[in-house]
Amino acid sequence: MDLDTLAHGLVAGSLYALVAVSFNILYRPSNVFNFAQGELVMVGAMTFASAMSVAGMPWIVAFAATLALVGMICLVEERIAVAPILKRAQTGTAWVITTLAVSLIISNLVGRIWGPDPILVKPPEPLSMDSLNVAGVRISSYEVALVICTVALVAMVERAYQTLQGKAVMAVAEDREAALMRGIDPGRLGRWSFFIGGAFAGMTGVVAAPILYASTSLGPDLLLKGFAAAAVGSIGNNRGALIAGYIIGLTEAFGAALLSPGYQEAVIFLVVLGVLLLRPEGLFGRPSARTV
Amino acid sequence: MSEAPLLSVRAVDAGYGHVDVLENVSLDVGDRKIVALVGRNGAGKSTLLRTISGLIRPRRGQIAFAGANLAGARPDAIVGAGLLHVAEGRRLFRRQTVDDNLELGRYGLRLTQAEHARRIERIHALFPILREKRGLHAGSLSGGQQQMLAIAQAMMRAPKLLMLDEPSLGLAPVLVDQVLDAIASLRAEGVAILLVEQMVERALEIADDAYVLQNGRIIASGPAREIAAGDALRAAYMGEHGAAARA
Ligand SMILES: Nc1ncnc2c1ncn2[C@@H]1O[C@H](COP(=O)(O)OP(=O)(O)O)[C@@H](O)[C@H]1O
Ligand SMILES: [Mg+2]
Repeated sequence: MDLDTLAHGLVAGSLYALVAVSFNILYRPSNVFNFAQGELVMVGAMTFASAMSVAGMPWIVAFAATLALVGMICLVEERIAVAPILKRAQTGTAWVITTLAVSLIISNLVGRIWGPDPILVKPPEPLSMDSLNVAGVRISSYEVALVICTVALVAMVERAYQTLQGKAVMAVAEDREAALMRGIDPGRLGRWSFFIGGAFAGMTGVVAAPILYASTSLGPDLLLKGFAAAAVGSIGNNRGALIAGYIIGLTEAFGAALLSPGYQEAVIFLVVLGVLLLRPEGLFGRPSARTV
Repeated sequence: MSEAPLLSVRAVDAGYGHVDVLENVSLDVGDRKIVALVGRNGAGKSTLLRTISGLIRPRRGQIAFAGANLAGARPDAIVGAGLLHVAEGRRLFRRQTVDDNLELGRYGLRLTQAEHARRIERIHALFPILREKRGLHAGSLSGGQQQMLAIAQAMMRAPKLLMLDEPSLGLAPVLVDQVLDAIASLRAEGVAILLVEQMVERALEIADDAYVLQNGRIIASGPAREIAAGDALRAAYMGEHGAAARA
């Protein structure tokens, strides 16, 4: 077994896990799956790349600006493409179409602004993309940091759901009307969740940029694999998303290494299909189920 | 009653979509009173509670609570005004713990740590089982324990008025007594109660006033003792094989 392949899988898996968590943040209070999420990650990467290389902003400023912008885009999406549909029927599914439409609109607009050329983004000092040799594995300091940060971020998100506002989101997810009867405003929590889920997607774009390059074609691939990670990890379950992200990243890496790179996508979706056929609700049970 | 009642419902019509359920319903709940709302299945009791708590918009009429007009107000504003609705079937957050459910009971209230602890303490004194089960999922509790948790959750907010929809539904007889006793003791703490209950006799025993609802209309109202002895009650339950008397 090749340890480099393992490292590759973990790095890619981290990105898929982050996309999946951003899906879950929106999904919990709204039961809406935002199909524009991949494009939001892409906008995050492009905005950040431009802010750094064109506008010359310091890393932290570019980072904050990107999160705020992508969060706002996602909030606007909620207002115009999701809220009106849920207002008419709480269990309607027309948001599948409207969020896909938003995805296409973003993709087209971004193509006009940036063009097809990928932008190289350097990691923040003192990290770099130079390969290190860690116990015989070739991996850069930035990639090590990415894997560690991913695990820390998922733990942070889970902690946020232990606050009263977080518990209220889980309450809305379980029984919206019962939440209303306790004085919880699901609309307000929904708007916050879209803003935060959007910002999280933007952040995923920022951290992905040094590895994948910032490119306008980033969206669909991350949407698909992030979606797969969310589904395999049980939708709404962030710990599940983390583990499933790594399962998919590793499957992809080893599929490419052992078979031929041409088959890697097929291998991923065989695994996803196999898991979902055996366990339609994903590997980690009911959405948001918790054990005591 | 000379001063304005705590809750006053005036000439309310309400329903679902094209279905009309309530017609010209008026009802008062005085401060620190227990008011029973009785009537057979499908009479519209739950619909009335849902209209008062803002889940359904009344088509017509006024709803005044503690001096403010609530008709058409949002549910969270109504809860904020101190009017709590414990729904039929309890509607707890089954996938969250007993403690989390209690904490959600105070959502949106600014409480000091000490005040929060004091309220939990008082609830544990009233329902000791909730301390024992504090870390368990609400869904794993028995029906009686869930009902206690639902009432306790509402108590976290120290409401002025509590609306309880069939709190004894599905409970063993011993537990029915326990829950109804708990309700009576809430009045002693200054909470007014609007009680919908299938155990009609028991409900009328602890109530001050009562209303009888039939086909969406109030057909009788008055002191609970008089309603218990009157004909309207029997008329309202006719065809249900004396379900009222069995309680
Ligand atoms: N969601 C709903 N949509 C349409 N009709 C309803 C709905 N809920 C209740 N109803 C109807 O309203 C009437 C009153 O129901 P309800 O208020 O639940 O009565 P009760 O609580 O007195 O048993 C019944 O005829 C019932 O069929
Ligand atoms: Mg009912």
